[in-house]
Amino acid sequence: MSALDAAAVAVSAPASRNLHVETSRALPLIAITVAARAGSVEDPPGKEGLARFSSRMMRRTAAGMKAQEIDTRIDSLGGSLASDVSHSTTAFNAAVIARSLEPFAALLEDVLGRPGFAESELALLRRETESELIEMRDNDRSLARRFFRQKLFAGHPYARPISGTIKSVRSFEGADVRALYQRLFTRDNLVVACAGMIEGAQAEELAARLSVALPSGAALPDTVTEPQLKSGRHLLIVDKPERTQTQILIGSRGTLPSDTDHFALHIANTVFGGTFTARMTREIRSKRGWSYGAYSSLPYDRRRQAFSMWTFPKADDAAACVKLELELLTDWREKGITKSELAWAKRYLVRSHAFAVDTAAKRVGLKLDADLYDLPPGYHENYIERLQAVTLDEANAAIRTRISSDDLLVCVVGTEAQIGSAVRDSIANLESSEVVAFDSE
Amino acid sequence: MTTHQDIPRGPGKPSARERRLAELNASAPEWGRIEHLATIGFGPSLRVERFRLRNGLSILSCEDHSAPVIAYHTWFRVGSRHEREGKTGLAHLFEHLMFNEVEGRKPGEFDRKLEEAGAESNAATWLDWTQYNIAIPKSQLPLVITLEAERMSRLVLREPQVTSEKEVVANERRYRVDDDVEGSVSELLWATAYTRHAYKWPTIGWMKDIEGFTTDDCADFYKTYYAPNNAIVVVTGDFAEKDVLKRIQHAYGNLEPSTIPPEDVQPEPPQTEERRIEVQKPTATDKIAIGYHGPAIGDFDHAAASLLSEVLFGGRASRVHQKLVRELEIASDVRIFVGPFRDPGLIEIYASAREGHSAEELLTAIDGELERVRTEAIPEAEIERARARIELSLLAGLETVDGKASTIGFYEAVLARPAAAFERLEAIAGVGASDLRRAARRYFVPARSMVLVRPQPRGLKEAAE
Repeated sequence: MSALDAAAVAVSAPASRNLHVETSRALPLIAITVAARAGSVEDPPGKEGLARFSSRMMRRTAAGMKAQEIDTRIDSLGGSLASDVSHSTTAFNAAVIARSLEPFAALLEDVLGRPGFAESELALLRRETESELIEMRDNDRSLARRFFRQKLFAGHPYARPISGTIKSVRSFEGADVRALYQRLFTRDNLVVACAGMIEGAQAEELAARLSVALPSGAALPDTVTEPQLKSGRHLLIVDKPERTQTQILIGSRGTLPSDTDHFALHIANTVFGGTFTARMTREIRSKRGWSYGAYSSLPYDRRRQAFSMWTFPKADDAAACVKLELELLTDWREKGITKSELAWAKRYLVRSHAFAVDTAAKRVGLKLDADLYDLPPGYHENYIERLQAVTLDEANAAIRTRISSDDLLVCVVGTEAQIGSAVRDSIANLESSEVVAFDSE
Repeated sequence: MTTHQDIPRGPGKPSARERRLAELNASAPEWGRIEHLATIGFGPSLRVERFRLRNGLSILSCEDHSAPVIAYHTWFRVGSRHEREGKTGLAHLFEHLMFNEVEGRKPGEFDRKLEEAGAESNAATWLDWTQYNIAIPKSQLPLVITLEAERMSRLVLREPQVTSEKEVVANERRYRVDDDVEGSVSELLWATAYTRHAYKWPTIGWMKDIEGFTTDDCADFYKTYYAPNNAIVVVTGDFAEKDVLKRIQHAYGNLEPSTIPPEDVQPEPPQTEERRIEVQKPTATDKIAIGYHGPAIGDFDHAAASLLSEVLFGGRASRVHQKLVRELEIASDVRIFVGPFRDPGLIEIYASAREGHSAEELLTAIDGELERVRTEAIPEAEIERARARIELSLLAGLETVDGKASTIGFYEAVLARPAAAFERLEAIAGVGASDLRRAARRYFVPARSMVLVRPQPRGLKEAAE
């Protein structure tokens, strides 16, 4: 019997204070997430992408092993291990067939606590990342997101491209990687979540082992300030040749989980662009056939993120589509949503919540989110009650308070020569317009 | 691990299920008499029950009470293989139209009601099948059964909706194919590799065909293929069997079966020599797509081909990744796909070169690795790594009720064996080095197809600088 198979194994250190467990015996599968409460916002100036790069280095150099040896061991155990970096978090997401938990846990300890950061691997990963960044230019949707964020949050850490730029990646040195690792991966800066065929005692032991592997250290202070966005309407065209279609992102300031009107805005956004039958899809796709998809989103983070509208009409429809989207936005803001729309959205959100908690991995994911994003106490536990309590006046006030139709960024990936002039003409009160080449970074 | 096993019903006292079915059938509508055909093990702890209505509707139920949710999938045995030249993409366009209007309901009401019920719904069309998937909180099951039965028989097809949906599909095509390097190259590869079989055209259809569809085309397609005897209903999750059967019987029991025309698919003649084409695309680096004629999913060697693809391309420890991405540093990305189709599909390889390297370099390096597996036995440790990856992938796909329904429905649609995912896992456990070498020699042959992509010259970057 392996150590982790035994529920009462003595541990040599206290388990992490930040541990979440959801046991389920439905499948012989275990999901493990180990996350640091900091991500690309910790990238030093000029070193954009360093957090993501560092986590990939950890995954490739654990305990001085070669990358291929680590990959082979993970695969052979029936496991997977991916590092996933956002602006505010750096997470290692793992899954493993239950019979391999013990050796997989040992490997995870090595990844987190004993990265080798070999210079040869560092040089190799630099070149690999550079080629990935070039490859990413083939994906118009990724380009739209990247340029949209850089422009909207200009000057703020949320503007940083998580993958970095070719220039920044070329500058990464071993000392950069080691310094960031030491800042992020300390005992008190981590949260561990386990789900699936793992009992509480096993998870406690796993967390304790991971904790022992790490240097002690306080949680990183969160020094990120609220983003300040530019006033007025601005247009950014990302010029790419031969596009038959465009990618359009329109956005402004969004929500914070601690806002008193957070749930009210969540409901209002559901009506506007949160589902397949919401206003945006109805007007853009169903009535006009202009795009395969049209949605708005309102993600949360520790600081206010963006509210954004996304669609992708053919080039000839791009200008008309931007104009329509701005009209829909203005109408939503000025007239609000109706009583029946409010009731419909509540029913949708309340009932579909069943799919936020239908697996152990999802349930533990909510608890993890609460820790990582400083969600107000009871955010997920009282989610349904909070939605139910929102009134029509509150929903409409939330739109007017939080969403601007005057201060926003329109970002379009397309062929400037074909769409530029018409798109500029379609935006009333346009304060600035800029064209950048899609491969200008 | 329990695998596919039809459990025979013995003589003697009627079972509880037989009594329940007798009760249901006592007042069944004309086409609604239900028959229980088999109990089939689905993994270590679940079972699939196979039923059929008198009108031919197949019902596969799999109770799983781990969460208060249900997946309700409807699979039709019709895909792009049932189309003809000039009308390509009709199965996919039709899938879109199934969400529009039903007699007695307003346009768009189907989706609106489902969302109000908290449902997650979507649909997909591929070469061999079309499927509609809905996941719902358990209390909403009656609504879903009603809505699905309605659109199987009472869909309204009108000109404005067909016109608008054609535009949507054209935009989907621009998104997935025309403005996507890999999508467009894959389409070209299949069109090059096949000369007669219906797999030569893309499921989304050629743009000129999408633009040319009429409402009559759609109505004819509906009348021909959307009938209970061409459909499979899969229900997984937290329900009681009797309740589900009663509701299905009530909702579908008056639908008449139709005469499904025999398939008119031409077999693909053997490819006897390499076909190579070269194209320019607005991309920064060379790419290459290589297609080998592979096994049908029911072929004995499909499991071996899948395992071999994992050895070669599965994950960062795979041979081709190690060689091209890490050792030679000539590729940024390498991938493989073994077609899971009723007829022999392609084994599709795709690689993207790094700046300063060519498609020819990629090809030479890939060829070297393919030659190795044709000539040298693969060590057991590598095979074990590949097996473990496949097992993890299967388990991860079964976490949700939707994943279970997809797995059951897919294997029923292509193999008529709903638990074949587990059979495959057992088959893969038995595949050894000899099988892999045989599969390599059988499929990685000189008569292949390939598309070489070159970056399109342009002045944009220079102008910007």
